[in-house]
Amino acid sequence: MKTLRWLLVAQLAAGSSLCARAGEPTAQIRATTDKILVLLSDPALKTDARKSERRQLIRSELDRRVDWAAVARSSLGRYWPKRTRAEQDEFIGLFSRLLAETCLDKLDSNGADPAKIDYLGEKIIDDYASVKTQITTKDQTVHPVEYRLQKAGKDWRIYDVLIEGVSLVKNYRDQFDEILGKTSYEKLVADLRAKIPRETP
Amino acid sequence: MKKAYLEFVVGLFLAIGIGCLAWTSIKLARKEFLVRNGYEVQATFSNAGGLCSGTPVVIAGVEIGRVKGVRLEDYEAKVHMVIQHGVLLQKDTMASIKTKGLIGEKYIELTPGASDETIKPGGVIRDTQPEMDLEALIAKYIQGSLAKPDDKGQPPH
Repeated sequence: MKTLRWLLVAQLAAGSSLCARAGEPTAQIRATTDKILVLLSDPALKTDARKSERRQLIRSELDRRVDWAAVARSSLGRYWPKRTRAEQDEFIGLFSRLLAETCLDKLDSNGADPAKIDYLGEKIIDDYASVKTQITTKDQTVHPVEYRLQKAGKDWRIYDVLIEGVSLVKNYRDQFDEILGKTSYEKLVADLRAKIPRETP
Repeated sequence: MKKAYLEFVVGLFLAIGIGCLAWTSIKLARKEFLVRNGYEVQATFSNAGGLCSGTPVVIAGVEIGRVKGVRLEDYEAKVHMVIQHGVLLQKDTMASIKTKGLIGEKYIELTPGASDETIKPGGVIRDTQPEMDLEALIAKYIQGSLAKPDDKGQPPH
């Protein structure tokens, strides 16, 4: 899981390059990546005093592009309809916070690593799209990353990310399935709370 | 005495042979029954990883369908599956290709989703996860560990 998170961060933190057959979903993914890169490289935001401001700005960009509710709903899978509306809202809040804070922590520790991103193409079927990219790290290792998006008005919002062919949603769905098969939903929520970094508001 | 023993052995082999034939017939008939009495769904994988007609489709380890066919479409693998009637698949069901053991039989695992809507007969499982390419991952790991950037941060030549 750590590798997955690292690569997701690498995708967001890396420089962009080639664009092949870029359509609207690719353009929106690229725009978000570029905005986050600008925030990461802004010297004024690198000071300790403005660290939380930078985190908040990056979180806002993530919130615009990632459909946290869809990620949370799909990750909980078949257990989702069994929860009350209040529990579902609570789960979305906790899970999105865990994912976003983990991502922000990695960005804080790694910074914007210079690397290359190739946009390999996109596929749109009705209101769904996938954008295939390829990250080349500094040591010339290539990692395929695929975004899956759903159209919401004019925006394309991410509901899953596949890194090295491994789906983020599938990974969490399997984990939640295992936990809920052995223990209870209350235990899962308690575990999520425990994993969210304490220093964050 | 010797003749009776010989006849017994021949009879035993014959019985075993008939038993094997019956078992095969039942297995094939079951498979055929499943293929005829289910509904079809499709899924597209970037790498089919050796799937073929007859590959089992499972949910929670229980076989609920079979692969009907695999064909290349737009340089991706389009897989047709037949799913048992009565097994409803949510629209966000995820299909992933798995292997039993390290060198075992391939199968498709379906992980139920959260959507209220279900996939209609002839519909598409939108979310798929291809088979993990272990060879590529191992190669990447080995190459990655050898190809470290030099002291100036430049990639090796």
